[in-house]
Amino acid sequence: MKERMDSSWKLTETQLREWLHGLLDANTVVAPVEEDGVLLFRRITSEDQAVIESSGKTRWSPKEFLFPRSEALYRYNFTGGTVQLDDPPVPEDHQILFGVRSCDAAGLVRLDEIFLSGTKDPIYAARRESTTVVSTACAAADAECFCTAVGGSPVGVEGSDLQLVPLDEGWLLRVLTDTGRDLVSGATDGWTAATASDGKRLSELEKKISEQIERSPVKREWSKILEEGFESPAWDQLAQHCLGCGVCAYVCPSCSCFDMNHEANAFSGEQCRSWDACTFALFTRHASGHNPRATKQERYRQRVLHKFAFREEDEPFRCVGCGRCVALCPAGLDIANAVVAAVEAIREEGADGAR
Amino acid sequence: MTEAHAGVVRGGTGSVAEDWQPHIVALVCNWCSYAGADMAGTTRLEYPAGVRMVRLPCTGRMSPLMILKAFEQGADGVLVSGCHPGDCHYVQGNLVARRRFTIFRSLMDFIGIDLRRLHFAWVSAAEGHKWAKVVTDVTAKVREAGPLPGFANPEGWDGIELPAVTGGGPQELDTAQLDAIRVNLREAASELLAAGRAGVVIGYGVGSLPDQTVPVFVTETADCAMLEWGHWCRNNLATYVVSALGQYERVAVVAKTCDLGAISSLIREGQLRRDQLMVIGVQCPGIHNGSELAGKCLACSGEPHPICDFVVTADGVHESRQDPSEAALDMPDVRDEQIAFLESLPHEVRWRYWQRQFGRCLRCYACRAACPLCYCSSCIVEKHRPQWISTAIDNPGNSSWNIIRALHLAGRCSGCDECARVCPADIRLDLINRKLALEVECQYGKVGLDPEQRSALVDFRMEDSEEFIL
Repeated sequence: MKERMDSSWKLTETQLREWLHGLLDANTVVAPVEEDGVLLFRRITSEDQAVIESSGKTRWSPKEFLFPRSEALYRYNFTGGTVQLDDPPVPEDHQILFGVRSCDAAGLVRLDEIFLSGTKDPIYAARRESTTVVSTACAAADAECFCTAVGGSPVGVEGSDLQLVPLDEGWLLRVLTDTGRDLVSGATDGWTAATASDGKRLSELEKKISEQIERSPVKREWSKILEEGFESPAWDQLAQHCLGCGVCAYVCPSCSCFDMNHEANAFSGEQCRSWDACTFALFTRHASGHNPRATKQERYRQRVLHKFAFREEDEPFRCVGCGRCVALCPAGLDIANAVVAAVEAIREEGADGAR
Repeated sequence: MTEAHAGVVRGGTGSVAEDWQPHIVALVCNWCSYAGADMAGTTRLEYPAGVRMVRLPCTGRMSPLMILKAFEQGADGVLVSGCHPGDCHYVQGNLVARRRFTIFRSLMDFIGIDLRRLHFAWVSAAEGHKWAKVVTDVTAKVREAGPLPGFANPEGWDGIELPAVTGGGPQELDTAQLDAIRVNLREAASELLAAGRAGVVIGYGVGSLPDQTVPVFVTETADCAMLEWGHWCRNNLATYVVSALGQYERVAVVAKTCDLGAISSLIREGQLRRDQLMVIGVQCPGIHNGSELAGKCLACSGEPHPICDFVVTADGVHESRQDPSEAALDMPDVRDEQIAFLESLPHEVRWRYWQRQFGRCLRCYACRAACPLCYCSSCIVEKHRPQWISTAIDNPGNSSWNIIRALHLAGRCSGCDECARVCPADIRLDLINRKLALEVECQYGKVGLDPEQRSALVDFRMEDSEEFIL
């Protein structure tokens, strides 16, 4: 973990809310709120709406504020016998994603890798450019959490401009980037500068939570094994009870697949980009009816391998270990266990083959 | 809200200009009402001009999708009009349409559409005067109701809290009893496999999270030891039966009483035969969602139903298999109080409540995947020629999707609540399904467990109620 604690403060809960109140003036602030009993990221209009806790996560990740569930890439309408084309709106407000868990912040970096490497996606890039991320470290792990097994950390700073760390009393606020510094400038009057002993809290939390997460680490060399064992019959067994819905992909902080559709009536329309998931049969079905991933087993394998394989040596896993897909899967599929089981099976098959 | 639909969004129903004229879409039968409207024209009758007609071959062709599309595209009201009962050019199309409309109408009412917007009429080719009167009356009603409220997540709305529901639930089973049930279940499964009476037993195994089970497919007697039982056996395993029959000649499935209705419907709808199935009914302690007993369990006894082939209790296993034609599945539901509460609220509040629920929908289709009765190989939401339901993951498409899915299950849904359990957005699909079940029962009577009975919306009676029909 990079140590860039050049400026950090200790804030009381009141100071935190006052700061958040100030941020609402010039920014669009998105934070966890409770809606009908579900914790979700929503745009907030008052600092009291935000649910900033020392542990627990929203039902799904905040990725929809960078990569919306659906968005128009262009629009058109017919008037007076001609067609008028409209470009998509450019985000005007600066957006702050507030109270993002460390795993989710890392998930946003995984999205960046897809949308900003090579040919940049201009709509995503514009939105990303005007977004600041304030993450919240965790003081406890949920049952499904496994960030430490995939190279993440409950106090990780990847993807964060600022980080809030829960202390026994109040919060430790760490400024991590220049963009983050802009958010605190002018607000620090009356704040207590953090001391080196406050910094110890980070390693304490990391140790405590690593112990809570009992799962053994997913090893980086397993990616190769998974790729080599692509045709392993083990997948039949592993995905036998998969129901083929898209919960896993839609709640995932790093899943980035989308579909294009034309949404139109006789007078106007738009080219609409919407989330899609590799677990749907329709995702790969050709116009001819042929489907290169014809079975749910092949589709589930695709999802697992896209998270844990199909990567260059120096690239991280695309799974950030938030565990949402494990907790919310209607059939109880567990991606981390599936990786372990697949690797074991592939190794055994290899050993049998060598005999 | 996407731009293609932006024209539809209106404000609240508060201030409407004096000269405001509603948009009304009329879905009319070619053989009667269309000609009746023609008659009104040739007779030079005057009536309001705000109605756009869509000519159908028969009201039997009328689909709720058409009505939803009309609302999405800016209609403030919809009128469906066809031949009088007994006069259908296709003998019975209008009678099927009458049932479909009745149930759709009650759902639209429940989710907050003012019923002054939704009308059904019998107008024959000779009834030009009736057509003019129907259009005049309908226009006046829709004007009263005002512009359709927008399909959008109500921002800055505090929401409403539904009354809490309580109930005793099934008899508590202590650890020793649950252990005994597990032993008996494993033994029953093992005997079935050993005797070759089933190729696979679909049951519950231990999951990777605490308090979680996963569906398992047991084919070897030695593996029967992995079968679990307890509060965490949530899935309705009937969902897996049809695909398992592709692999095995006969399938055994572990079932709670709430799972049986779905099995019965699958047989009724020709998806499997009773003799392809061995149902192992197990005494249920009630399932937990989180730390609480699930809503569907609050009024359930947990006793295994005698139509099961095997009944497993803490005391032992016995073969049962009561004749299903005499069996009823009486499942009182304490959540009816929540439905009644919602129905006591004004339409605008209900509309906001459901728009917010539907607004959260991610279109992950977990509801569809987990539902034992959503077995279509190609779902209406995936058809795009024409595309009835917007693919944009937002309202109004989200509303249409949830409404249509519920309607496709009306009269078929057995209330296992799997859709509501798996919904990551906690949309109260259970209330919608239950509301429809109550309405179907009230209008057309109860469908029991007998696979020989027809489900309500593929059936009709000449004397079906039609109190709202003009």
